[in-house]
Amino acid sequence: MWHVEIGLQGIVTTAVLGLAAVMWAPEAARWWLVGAVACGSTAVVVVVPRWRYLVHRWEVSPTAVYTQRGWWARERRIAPMSRVQTVDYAQGPLARLFGLASVTVTTASAAGALRIDGLDRDVALALVDELTLKADLVEGDAT
Amino acid sequence: MTWQRLDRRMLLVHPIKEIGRFLPVLIGVLVAGGASGAGPWSLLGVIVPVALGVVRYLTTTWRIAEGRVELRRGLLQRHTLSTSVDRVRTVDLTASPVHRLLGLATVVIGTGSVASDANERLELDALPSEQAAALRTDLLWSRAVAAAAAVDEDAPADSAAEEVLARFSARWLWYAPFSSAGLVAAGAAVGGALQLTEIVDIRLTEDALAAVAGAFVGLLLGAALLLAALLAVAGYLVTNGGFVLARQGAAWHVRRGLLTRRETSIDTARLAGISLGEPAALRIARGRRLAAIVTGLPGASARSAVLLPPAPTSTVVPAAVTILGSAGPVTGPLLRHGRTATVRRYSRAILAVLPVVLGLAAAALSASYWLLAAVPIVLGLAVLLAHDRARSLGHAFSEGHVVMRSGSVVRSRDALAAGHVIGWNLHDTWFQRRSGLVTVAATTAGGSGRVQVYDVTTAAALALAEAATPGLVGQFTDPDDPAPSPF
Repeated sequence: MWHVEIGLQGIVTTAVLGLAAVMWAPEAARWWLVGAVACGSTAVVVVVPRWRYLVHRWEVSPTAVYTQRGWWARERRIAPMSRVQTVDYAQGPLARLFGLASVTVTTASAAGALRIDGLDRDVALALVDELTLKADLVEGDAT
Repeated sequence: MTWQRLDRRMLLVHPIKEIGRFLPVLIGVLVAGGASGAGPWSLLGVIVPVALGVVRYLTTTWRIAEGRVELRRGLLQRHTLSTSVDRVRTVDLTASPVHRLLGLATVVIGTGSVASDANERLELDALPSEQAAALRTDLLWSRAVAAAAAVDEDAPADSAAEEVLARFSARWLWYAPFSSAGLVAAGAAVGGALQLTEIVDIRLTEDALAAVAGAFVGLLLGAALLLAALLAVAGYLVTNGGFVLARQGAAWHVRRGLLTRRETSIDTARLAGISLGEPAALRIARGRRLAAIVTGLPGASARSAVLLPPAPTSTVVPAAVTILGSAGPVTGPLLRHGRTATVRRYSRAILAVLPVVLGLAAAALSASYWLLAAVPIVLGLAVLLAHDRARSLGHAFSEGHVVMRSGSVVRSRDALAAGHVIGWNLHDTWFQRRSGLVTVAATTAGGSGRVQVYDVTTAAALALAEAATPGLVGQFTDPDDPAPSPF
């Protein structure tokens, strides 16, 4: 999914930058610039999704949720089950095409939402059920 | 308790407010009326606002019943707001000059909801001052007193007494120009002065008096700075005049304002931590400021979380110690972040000014060699900044609080109670991973949502998290591979 998503983005970026180069760059350097942009985009399109796939991890223990995402900059988030406020399940158009889904776990903090992308649909649904049950079992008002 | 109206004196305040809002229309009507000589029509401009005020008074009622606060308002579109008393986190009393003249106060009840829509706010505008204060006491203490009374019979009597922690003194005015607002005013003044000199310069060269211009510019700059300082002092006086920070029972009261008097009360149970602001300018003047990290105050109204405005360190630090109940988080030593973090501060500062330096050098080559003199100044500033930023970095877990300090120009030392830590965010870029560093943030429901510090070694970050929330982070670290792959 990420390959396709970033591939689409890459095509758009290449087209826009290429067009800009054709419009404004001097005659001689024009096609060199377009080539460079295309090469750069291709490299990004090939490397980034794999890198991202290697970084992404998630884990649920009886007391907490843990996610790791990103590629160049990596973000690891940990939230205890007792502080979970809502569990969201979302599917974008591309994700539906691939039978995938994302699960977002929010806490009371403005900076603490945990998001797990690209889960298999059934896994995601099972995870939502599991998290909802576990969060329900813990006492407290989650603030 | 039955449904109650707001104070009858609001019949005076509302029409005045409405007339203020209708003023443009009113003037238009009067002018048009005067021109065409239609007397009765101009009266309408006065009657409509007054009628609106009366309608507002008649349609707004509130009550506290069965553990809920309820507010009904609106004539055509009825609104009923209702909240549980248990959910009340802050109670603000505000009194504009008009209100104060009539002995009234507006009560705003904060429940921690994120809705910022004016329609969703529980606002009673207005009650008599005494009734407003009594209402606040009811709302904030009903729970606390009930809990305390079970343990100690004297608790209600104790809580009635107000224990003052800090009181405004004229000496505080000295710190006004050093606060961020003062700096902004100074910047604006300097900018204005420069613009003025540009205009004046042109005229002077026209008059062939360019020699005078230098001294004149200096004078103008000095005057502008003085003006900025005076403006800052005046602004400080208006917002913070008559400042009092006091503890009353289970809540902290902050009272301030020379004209519009604001009273904020923060329930101690909701006080997640404090943020001790130490901007560079304030540090030079030996001042500090203090803010509260409170759950139930949305980010937009961060102003009401102020515990102390810029004030002498000797006032702020003891107050912070009293509020937290222990000195460790406020004055205790912090763990330094080591050599790698320091190197990163220097390299980042130098890299940031590199384009400026290169530009200056290029300009010097093409224009005048005098510009080269600016290069050491820029580099020196960058190194100073990096030195201060590296020195500021620190974290600790002290007496039940997570303490983090970072920044230079706007340095702050945040202390967050471990019980209010919701989770942890660890952020690292590829460069940080290579040097084994991580930006660690403790998330919380209050304030900006997190307290963070950058470039901690991974082991130290894990130790901090483990100390504050035992077992939470530890269960996810792999003992065989403490430092995960560098991807």
